[in-house]
Formats: sequence, structure tokens, C-alpha cells
Amino acid sequence: MTTKPLLQVEHVTMRFGGLTAVNDLSFEARKGDITALIGPNGAGKTTVFNCITGFYKPTEGMMTLTQENPDGSSGDSYLLERMPDFRIAWKAKVARTFQNIRLFGGMTVLENLLVAQHNPLMIASGFTFLGVLGIGGYKAREKEAIEKAKFWLEKINLVHRADDPAADLPYGDQRRLEIARAMCTDPVLLCLDEPAAGLNPRESLDLNNLLLSIRKDHGTALLLIEHDMSVVMEISDHVVVLDYGTKIADGTPAEVQADPKVIAAYLGVDDEEVEAVEAEVGL
Amino acid sequence: MAMDASTPAKRQADMTRALKEAAFAALITFGLCIPIIAWGTRQNLDNQLVLDPRWDAVAWAVAIVFVGRFLMALRQQKRSEGKSVVRLLPHGTIGFFQRNSKLFSLFGLGFLLTFPIIAINLAGWGGALKWIDNFGVQILIYVMLGWGLNIVVGLAGLLDLGYVAFYAVGAYSYALLAKNFGLSFWILLPMAGILAAFWGMILGFPVLRLRGDYLAIVTLAFGEIIRLVLINWTDFSNGYAGISGIPRPTFFGIPFTAGDDGFAAVFGLEFSPLYRTIFLYYVILMLALLTAYVSLRLRRLPVGRAWEALREDEIACRSLGINTTNTKLTAFSIGAMFGGFAGSFFAARQGFISPESFVFMESAIILAIVVLGGMGSLWGCAIAAIAMIGGTELLRELDWLKQIFGPDFDPTKYRMLIFGFAMVVIMIWKPRGLISTREPTAFLKEKKAISADMVQEGHG
Amino acid sequence: MEVFVQQLINGLTLGSIYGLIAIGYTMVFGIIGMVNFAHGDVFMLSAFIALIFFMLISAWLGAGLIVLSLFFVLILAMFFTSLWNWTIERVAYRPLRGSFRLAPLISAIGMSIFLMNFVQVVQGPRNKPTPPMLNKSILLIDSATYPVSISYKQIVIIVTTIVLLAAFWYLVQKTPLGRAQRACEQDRKMASLLGIDVDRTISITFVMGAALAAVAGVMYLVLYGVVSFHDGFVPGVKAFTAAVLGGIGSLPGAVLGGLLIGLIEVMWSAYFTIDYKDVAAFCILAVVLVFMPSGILGRPEVEKV
Repeated sequence: MTTKPLLQVEHVTMRFGGLTAVNDLSFEARKGDITALIGPNGAGKTTVFNCITGFYKPTEGMMTLTQENPDGSSGDSYLLERMPDFRIAWKAKVARTFQNIRLFGGMTVLENLLVAQHNPLMIASGFTFLGVLGIGGYKAREKEAIEKAKFWLEKINLVHRADDPAADLPYGDQRRLEIARAMCTDPVLLCLDEPAAGLNPRESLDLNNLLLSIRKDHGTALLLIEHDMSVVMEISDHVVVLDYGTKIADGTPAEVQADPKVIAAYLGVDDEEVEAVEAEVGL
Repeated sequence: MAMDASTPAKRQADMTRALKEAAFAALITFGLCIPIIAWGTRQNLDNQLVLDPRWDAVAWAVAIVFVGRFLMALRQQKRSEGKSVVRLLPHGTIGFFQRNSKLFSLFGLGFLLTFPIIAINLAGWGGALKWIDNFGVQILIYVMLGWGLNIVVGLAGLLDLGYVAFYAVGAYSYALLAKNFGLSFWILLPMAGILAAFWGMILGFPVLRLRGDYLAIVTLAFGEIIRLVLINWTDFSNGYAGISGIPRPTFFGIPFTAGDDGFAAVFGLEFSPLYRTIFLYYVILMLALLTAYVSLRLRRLPVGRAWEALREDEIACRSLGINTTNTKLTAFSIGAMFGGFAGSFFAARQGFISPESFVFMESAIILAIVVLGGMGSLWGCAIAAIAMIGGTELLRELDWLKQIFGPDFDPTKYRMLIFGFAMVVIMIWKPRGLISTREPTAFLKEKKAISADMVQEGHG
Repeated sequence: MEVFVQQLINGLTLGSIYGLIAIGYTMVFGIIGMVNFAHGDVFMLSAFIALIFFMLISAWLGAGLIVLSLFFVLILAMFFTSLWNWTIERVAYRPLRGSFRLAPLISAIGMSIFLMNFVQVVQGPRNKPTPPMLNKSILLIDSATYPVSISYKQIVIIVTTIVLLAAFWYLVQKTPLGRAQRACEQDRKMASLLGIDVDRTISITFVMGAALAAVAGVMYLVLYGVVSFHDGFVPGVKAFTAAVLGGIGSLPGAVLGGLLIGLIEVMWSAYFTIDYKDVAAFCILAVVLVFMPSGILGRPEVEKV
């Protein structure tokens, strides 16, 4: 292990007034891994996401994202807690989806994917100046962008809906489109907030395949929040369990599954056992 | 059951209900009229206020509302019975226009280019001045302002109620720089635009994190601040008195005067003030077309797509790496720039400007044009500008009404009254504006218009 | 010191007028989330209604019973202004409920233009002076350089405002009507599921806002003795500023904001320059909205991701 982990979260604490949503959380996400962040409702998972993607600034702690050079050595490092959200997406290349889908409903499916390629296209259009005058290679670059969008549409089986407004798509398709849109930003780390929520078993299976193929074909590391344990256990390489903002377990799916603290957090236990578990956790 | 709908008993019941509704509306109208219409206040020769009872006017108002409400109630009942309803436009008209929008654009462009000639042919040399100036130039100024504001409100979804401030910046920039430094219109036009864009950024920067109605109110405040400063800072702007004697634009150095080196003399024509008006008409036409061209181009560029995405969902934009601050500022400043162009043209056309021309009402009118036209639609804006500005200008032509209502009747008095009322009515009739579908900026196989129900109206 | 006390009295008088108008903005914003742009013009209209009734009643009662006739004027102006605002809500806002969010705002701007020009058409464009009334004043501090006094007008205005605000406070806090209103503010759909007639509650909100605006209209007439058709816009914006400053949606906030705006305006005119007093008001509006959008007593808005 000579290379640094892709994402290193160290001692992150997030407080809202008197409420501590995330408490001294540390974990790592490695390149090419699917890391799952699980925990009961209100455990602070989405807050962790919001800190990583810059929507919240953590009260304390450090989050380092280290990109990899083509030769495999460690490339540029970014301190995510110091960057505004849009720079995290554009420079550190962290993309995300949302728990309640946030597509551009009034724009077509294709346009959604083009908006995701905003920054490279912006450069191609000479920051609008050349584009307005119609000089420079914007036309060709836009064609490439459309090709890329088409590639992702084929991958999520939505080519036939490319020219329909995104709000018209059924729920499952919207979920997949949001993932495709995030992938159009060429991320090194893709954060998925409950991607399988509200999907039927078939769609859920499709999603698994999509996520596995993203990891395999694009080398993008995935960080996902999920309640659906079948998804978590089947595809993730590494699971981090949160409860009340504190990490209670960290390991392979099998290890985590057998952990009594996790079972206690999920299933609830008798009072004596809670005390025993709490003593173990150190509360 | 369907047969019952037309039985006499049913019709009787419908009639009674409509009558009841009409009577209720008439009663309310009577209540509304009691103080404010029933007695007119007037100062007599001793400067004391006296009341003139005007119960005849109340009677008219009540009668009009009664009949109107009665007819409306009957119409609504017919509609609920599922009978065919009289439509203003045959079904599919708007779709037809949209499918052939290229053709209609060409046709419209041709008409605009030949409008002065048509006007001269129809109204003669004397009458054409009014048509070209009051209708042509006036409407085109508002079309241009509407298209400029459309970038901010329609595309980026930022509700701006202080747009007239940039119009004022453009007008005063031209007026002051032309008067004090003697620079020509063609140099000052871009300068006025740049200055307005600069002000757009200055004013835009602090308000970027506001949303919706709050943004509207702050922009309103900025617009008023600029106007009040223009009024009070007399050393700079000459206050209420305004700036007069602003140099008029020349035809590439040739002035439109009656003298030997004037336009008419140089080109061997008989002098007429019409030449200047026609020249101004083509200038504003070019400026408006420039605005349309640029905004059409911008929509297809990444920045335009980012504006629309911003209108749909700002948080999602940020998650995709879009710098929302810069994107909003670009919208503000580009919109302001076109306002500045229009302002400097306005100053050049009028030869006189004062803060009176830049009141809040102007902002409201421009915003109304954008929203009534259908946010984001250039055609919609143009139609709304023609209807609202042309319509109220037409009131000046209604002198024949004096024969009906007596010589004291002045239709222009009702101009803004009708304008305000029309805003309310159009909003209720078509809350999304006249042309409410959105055209995609890119397509894979076919371009399908997107219905307004999908499109977000922007929140900030 | 004397100057300050005098300006304090003047500022509180003006501030109570702004506060009364501000309540109308804040209530409507609270319940349907819309800036009722026409509210300033409703206030102006109420001043005209009050003017006409004042002339009718004082002609009938005679000039001696000025306080009694003002009382009748107040009642009548409240009633007829409420009727106007009820109608405006019914015609221009209700059909747009639940539609495109800009639509009610545009409709309100249209209504504002309509009202302003309506009054101009039916009552003429000139300033309308009232006959002089309540001109006496009480000397508070007898000073050779700057005597401080409080006029009967100011007493009437401040007392009326306090009494009416107390009544209004009771209405909103202690009656089922007020409860229905607060329920609609929280969640309109849920309120209607629980059997609250939402349309009626909203109508009543507009009626109450208009009644208080009418009080402000009468007070404005008493204070300045003159009114014209464009007097709605600037007081309207200032009252809106007051509502925002106090924290929009909060009723005590609106009154507090109104008093503050009144004081700031009067002090600004007294100590700096009268020319820029409106600029000051607009600047306060912008600064408050940008830096403390939840106002003094409002609830902060949290951005949800």
C-alpha cells in the first residue's frame, strides 16, 4: 500500500447548534472500491455526504482527496473542507446524487447530461466570448459532449427518452439518469445517496450492475449510503456503520454483518445489552 | 342524463343562479363604489376641498358588473355542461406557429425592415412620423428591454424588479459623456453598455444569495436608490430638471439638420424630420435584433444551459461543478448591458432625460412584458410588448370616443389603468404567459417542445 | 436633547403608521408566501375613503365634534377598505393560488398599478388637502431654544394604534380564527384536511390586513392632512422594509420594525439631510435583506440539501 487512499476522512465533527450530527468520524475510501455508509435513520450519513461534497463545512476535522496520476502514483491532493462545493465537483472530481432526486425537470434528458459537462464546455466556448461570436472549436466540442451523453444514455437504457423532459421519466429512470449525470462530470469519487430507494427488485438489480460496471470500466470509486442491505452486502467492498453520528463498525460486509454493535444498532437489544454495548463503544 | 341539461326547468335554475351571482357581484361593486366613486373630491376656487356626488357613475359601474358577471356565469355553466366553448384562437394555433417559427421569424423580420416604407405609403409623409416613432421605435425599445430582462428573469430565473436602473445608467452615461466630452453615439453606445454591465455586477453581487420575492424587493430597492440619487445629486445629474440638449446621433458623422451639411442636403433630398426618425428606427431595430441574436446564441452555449439549470435547481448545479455566483453575475451583467444599450439609445432619441423616465413603473412594465410573454420566449416577449405598449399607445388614437362620452373624455387617462388590469387578467388567463412551452437547446433525434408544467420558475 | 425627544415623538408617530401597514404585508406573506405588492396602494385608497367620509361626516356633525367624527371615519374606512381588499384577493389572487409562483406577484403588481391609476382617474391627480383638524398641542418641555411638544394628532395616532393593536393581538392569539390562521401558515394542506376553510381564512387575513391599513390611512390623513394617488408606493415600500426588518411572518416584528423605520427616518432627516431620507430607507431594506434576511424576530431559514 504505497499509494494514499483516495478519500481520507479524519476526525470530522459536524455540529448544528447543540446537535452533534457527526462525531469524530474517520474512515477511508480506496480507489476502485465501493464503500458503503450505513446506519439507522438519523445516523448522520447524509450529513457526512454534505460535508464531503462541500454543502456543509464540518465544524472540525479534515477530509483529503488524493487523485491518482495515470502512472499510478499519487497525484494532486485536495483538502475538501477548505473548498467551495462547486470546486469540489470540478477540481477534486467528486460527484454526487441526492436522496430526493434533483434533476433539471424542465430540461430534456440530454440537456441534463450536457449541463453536467458545463466546465469543459465553458472552456471550449472561450468562456462564452468566443462562443457568442461563433469562433473557436465549440461546435465540435459540443458534438463530443453529445456523444458522451449518448454513451451514458445507452448504458442506462434511456436513449429513446433523450429528448423528453427529465420530469417525465418514471422514478427508477430518474434515479439512473441522476447517476449518469453525475458520471458525465468524470468523477474519481461518486457519492450516491440512497440510490436504490424506491426501486423495485428488478430495477434494484439493474442498479447493482450499473454500479459494478462504473467501478470496473471507469475506475471510479463509489461511496454510497444505502438502506437496502441486499445492495450493500452484494456489491460493496467496505462498509462503514454509523449510529448517532459515531462510527461503530468498519470492515468488509461479512465482518460488519457479524458485529454485535451493528446488530444492536439495527435491531435494538435489551436494556442490559445496550449497556454492555455502550460500555464497549465507550459512551 | 345529458338530455336533462337542456330542459326548461334546468335552464330556469341556471338562469336564477347566474342572476344571483350577478346580483352579488353588483352588490359588492356598489359597496366598492360608495365612497370612492360616489363622491369626487375637487378643490374649489378658495382652495377648499368640496365633494361632487356622482351617483350616475356608480349606477353605470354596478350595471356593467351585473351584466358582465351574468354573462360570465352563463358561459361558465355552458362550459361545465361540456358544450363547445368559444376559443380565442383555433386549436393548435400556437403549435402551428411554433412548428413554423423560422418562417414566421423571416416574415416578421421582413415586415420590420420595410415598416417605415409601409408606414410612409399608408400614412403619407406627415402621418408616418407618428407611426414610426410612437409605434415602431417605442415598441422596439420595450421589445429590446424585454429581451434583455428575459435573460435575467426568463432564463436564469432571477426576479429583477430594478431593471430600469440599468436603463437609467445607460441613458445618463450617454447623456453626460456626450455633453461633457462630445463623444459620438457610436463610441458611447458600447461604453454605456459596459458601464451598465459593470453596475449590474456591483448590484448583483450582494444580492446573489437571496431568493425569489426577496431578490425582487432588493432589486426594486436598488432601482429606487439609483433614481433617488439621480434626483438628489444635482451637481452630477441636474436633479429633477434632468439633462436637456443631449447631442443627437448622426448618420456616420452627418447630422440630421436642415443645414447645408445636414443629411438631406448631402444626399440631395428635401429636408424632413422623418429621416432622423427612420434612422433611429433602424438603429433600435438593429439593437433589438442584436439582443435577440445574442440571447439565442447564449441559450445554446454552456452558460445559457447553466442559467436554465440554475432556474431549475441551484443545489444540483453546484453539485455538478457550476460556479453559481459567476453564472448569476453573468446573467445580471449581460441583461444589464442590453438595458444600458437601450438606455443610451433612449437618451439619444429623446434629447432630454430626467429621473421621471426611470421610475419603478417602467421596471414593472418591462417585467410584465417578460412574464406575460412567457418566460424565456423571445416571441412571447415581442407579442406582449406589442400588445401592451402598442395597445396603450393605440388609446391615443381613440379620439372618436369623445363623440360618445363627451368632450371631456380622454382615453389616454385610462392607459395605465387598463395596463394594470390587463396584467391581472392575463395572469389569471395564462399564468405561465402567452407562450409557455420551452424549446430544448440540444436534441438527439427530434426537438420536442416542453410543456410549462415541467419547467421550474426559479426561486432566486 | 430637546431635539432628540421631539424627534422621538415624531418618529414613534410615523412608526406606528408604518407598523400598521407592515402587519398587512407580514400576515399575507406568512399565510400565502407572497409579497402583496398592492398593499401600499390599498393603504392609499383607504386614505381617500377616509377623506371622503371625513368630509361627509364633519359636514353633518359640525366641526366641533372632530374626535367623534374621526371615530366614525375610522370604522367606515376600515369596513370599506376591507371590502376592497377582500374583492382584490377574490379577483386577482385566489384564481392563482397553487399556480406558477411568479403569477400572484405579477398579478399584485398589476393590481397596484390598477389601484393607483383608478384613484387618479376617479379622484383626479392633484393633492387633496383636508380641512385643518386637531391643531392644538401640549408643551412637554418648555425650552427657549427648542420647545418640545406633542400634538393632539400625535396623541390620537399613538393611542389609537396601541388600542387597535391590542385588540388585533387578542384576535390573532386567543381566538379560533387566529389559530386557524397560524395553522394555515404552517401547512395549508394539512390545515384543510383538518377541516379548516383555508380560502376563508386567507380572505379574513386580507380583510384584517386591509382594516389595519385603513387605520394607518386615517392616521396618515390626520398627520399630514393631505393625500394624493401616488402616496401608496413609498409608504408601502417602507412598511415592507419594516416587516422584513422585524422578521417577516412575525406580527410583533412588524410593529417593532415599523417603529424602527419611523425613528430612523425621522432621525435621519433631523440630523443628516432630508433629501436622502428615502435612500436611507431603501438602503436599510437592502442591507437587512442581504445580511439578516430573517429579520430581528423572524425564524431563520435553513437550506436543505
